[in-house]
Amino acid sequence: MTGASSSSSRYVYGIVSADDGLEFEAEAVGGAGQVYPIRYRGLAALVSNVEEDAGAFERSDEDATRHDDVVREILLRDGGRTVIPMRYGMIFERDRALTNVLRASRPTLRRTLRELDGALELGVKLVRGEGQSVEQSAVEETVDRTLDPSSERWVENDQFSDRLVLNRSYLVDREARDHFDEGIEALSQERDDLKIRYSGPFAPYSFVDIQIGGR
Amino acid sequence: MLVLDDLLFRPIVGIADALHSLALDECYDIDALEDERKELELLYELDEIDDSEYDRRREDVDAEIEEAREVHRRLTSGRVEVREL
Repeated sequence: MTGASSSSSRYVYGIVSADDGLEFEAEAVGGAGQVYPIRYRGLAALVSNVEEDAGAFERSDEDATRHDDVVREILLRDGGRTVIPMRYGMIFERDRALTNVLRASRPTLRRTLRELDGALELGVKLVRGEGQSVEQSAVEETVDRTLDPSSERWVENDQFSDRLVLNRSYLVDREARDHFDEGIEALSQERDDLKIRYSGPFAPYSFVDIQIGGR
Repeated sequence: MLVLDDLLFRPIVGIADALHSLALDECYDIDALEDERKELELLYELDEIDDSEYDRRREDVDAEIEEAREVHRRLTSGRVEVREL
């Protein structure tokens, strides 16, 4: 069963290699219950049906959470796979439009899948106590020494709070996950004056910058 | 006369628009409210606030975000009604 319907639009969660084009039941965006692949020459877009056309789609926090949950399921289900995550809210009104985009973006998407092969995103936040002062460069030196050896790269995220000393996303190979966890343990011992919020794994949103059509 | 009216009138409208936009961003700053929500989630995850405080503050900030979005939607929809109170 594909769950496909010619009368509805397709909501896209991510792009995987066609070999990884899995199908599963999920609490999907807009109340859909099935996530399934639409394939095009070695690529697969993982989608669910939404009844609205693109112009009528109403964004909501609940659907944003469903989007994240489905993308994480794609990332981890049955041993996991590499996924290029799409932003929340990407809808195609016709399958043809979606496959046209896959065709036009195919070289970029295939290159990105190769670059991200086996990679996960992990979040690290270091938080100071209320009124506590810390030397930023010393913190960064410790973080770089403990976490860089087991990660491929990192990006700095928003400083959305005065309490945040550091907020980064790391790209880590699945095989290096245990090594990275050990780095987090070492960091928490060296900087036990700070609180650490370690989160993930997530699809590598922070390391993908691909704009494709749709809405 | 028509041209003169236009020239005189447009700069005033431009300034009024800019002031209006500044006031709107100041009073209904969605980015700042979303930062506040993220900070709240962080403090909750770090066990610095308990369930009841989190629920209460989260409800408040969600309502403020919703109100700010609604105001932005209305004031950028092109159907703005100005009334004297």
